[in-house]
Amino acid sequence: MSDLMQTFPVKRIVEHGPGVKSFYFDRVTDADAGQFVNVWLPGIDEKPYSVSAIGEDWLEISVKAYGVFSGAMMKLKVGELVGIRGPFGKGFTLRDNALIIGGGIGIAPLRILARELSDRNFRFVSLLGAATAHEVIFVDDFRRRSSNCYVTTDDGTLGKKGLVTDDLLEIIKKEKIEFIYAAGPEIMFVKIKELIDPLGIPYEFCLERYMKCGIGICGQCTLDGSGIRLCVEGPVLNQDDLKAVTELGLPHRDASGRRV
Amino acid sequence: MSQVKFLNLKLKNPTVLASGILGLTASSMRRVVEFGGAGAVTTKSFNIEWRKGHKNPSILPFRHGLLNAVGLSNPGIDEMVKEIRLFKRQCDAPIFASVFGRTIDEFAEVTRRTVEAQPDLIEVNISCPNVHSEFGQPFGNSCKDTAKITEIVKKNAGNIPVSIKLGPHGPGVARLARVCEEHGADAITAINTVGPGMLIDIEVRKPILSNKTGGVSGPAILPIAVKSVYEVYKAVNIPIIGTGGVTVPEDAVQMILAGATLIGIGTGVYYQGIDVFKKIEQGIREYLDRHGFKSIEEIRGGAHE
Repeated sequence: MSDLMQTFPVKRIVEHGPGVKSFYFDRVTDADAGQFVNVWLPGIDEKPYSVSAIGEDWLEISVKAYGVFSGAMMKLKVGELVGIRGPFGKGFTLRDNALIIGGGIGIAPLRILARELSDRNFRFVSLLGAATAHEVIFVDDFRRRSSNCYVTTDDGTLGKKGLVTDDLLEIIKKEKIEFIYAAGPEIMFVKIKELIDPLGIPYEFCLERYMKCGIGICGQCTLDGSGIRLCVEGPVLNQDDLKAVTELGLPHRDASGRRV
Repeated sequence: MSQVKFLNLKLKNPTVLASGILGLTASSMRRVVEFGGAGAVTTKSFNIEWRKGHKNPSILPFRHGLLNAVGLSNPGIDEMVKEIRLFKRQCDAPIFASVFGRTIDEFAEVTRRTVEAQPDLIEVNISCPNVHSEFGQPFGNSCKDTAKITEIVKKNAGNIPVSIKLGPHGPGVARLARVCEEHGADAITAINTVGPGMLIDIEVRKPILSNKTGGVSGPAILPIAVKSVYEVYKAVNIPIIGTGGVTVPEDAVQMILAGATLIGIGTGVYYQGIDVFKKIEQGIREYLDRHGFKSIEEIRGGAHE
């Protein structure tokens, strides 16, 4: 694969429930867990998406309907052409005895991580949360690969009613966790960080920002405080990368560069 | 050895972050200096009001460079004044403020407001090639408009020096540079991106950029930039920020031999990483050493007869 734009037909679509779908393409690129590709819908826009899984001859991207672009993704049909360039960025490092924490569609980049960890016979525990049952995507896959899988939903339709952070400290202790991965809404990172920083357990978060180029030049996704570019030095950042970052939890910059 | 004097400024080395690259925030520009090794930085071009710019895809690599139609997205003057001030508090390297306007009056107003932040130079972007559909032909394609804007920016810039950023199009970069010098410009930045150009996806059979067309940068435009700097050096006595396609030290040496005082680097970050500035500065030093020169001044304009 390359930085150059190329278009590929959608091969298969899986609907997890209202407004949540996975799209399958040929295996047009390799990607490490946590890396992303820029997805172009001709005539609409281009956005970064984590690769959520790679198989022998397929690549999967999982999308939740949110704005104009993801709304248009929901209308895609098998056979339609989609631009893909990448993979971009730096992904997760692979560790033993880890806890994987996914919030909502943030579960997507953790699915490929879970597959890589289990391929290497690393022990890990999953803690997945979402608004409602069908948004806990690929929960069976996580259950199969994790030594233990905890689930929370806001409405109690799957697992325990509540947030992933509710029982976090107990799970860390009980499962003898040595490393933490997380992906999901930024408010979740703020809360997790608050809880685990005092424990000194190392961690990696997969962040999101508005992006244009994906190749480290436009400056749109640089983080205040450190100046690192999320599209090149991220999107996965560890506890040391995050030390200098002053904007965790703040509203993100939009296309103009304002925080809105 | 790499130190260079430019107008009233002393830079640690002649490399400058070009406008449009990593120039949105103080943190980003500071990293370009501290980790990247840039001698100075230029902000992203801004105006009074914020703009979202063109939709994505807005920046596309191709085999010999990048094609971009970001469309002058910027957070507006209030935000940029804050970021420039923050940069100045945290970093010793000079900062150049790149400004644009849709009308000549806007150039006056954005200059007046920019002075509040006290940047070390105001760079005037009159040659962006990817906002035709909204702004019409760039002002920098006309000697008359170039003269008017140079004059009005100078009038409003107080004691802050002004560089006019020119493209290779229109009546010719040498003629335009002369007009700028005659109307008070303190320096010339040459060149902007080239084109516009276009890339088409052959499966979808449509242009890929949302704006369809965009400015070409990177290795593909180096010869055009070197030739432009060569001509401007012949035409004027004010210093030149030579920008366009510089990726490796040898490209920068060509720019200096053509007559550049400073070397703008933008797309080079894509090819070489943020420390492209460090790499180029070191390569220039090695070149000088190898040929027994003691300073960059000794070779500036050396390609001229």
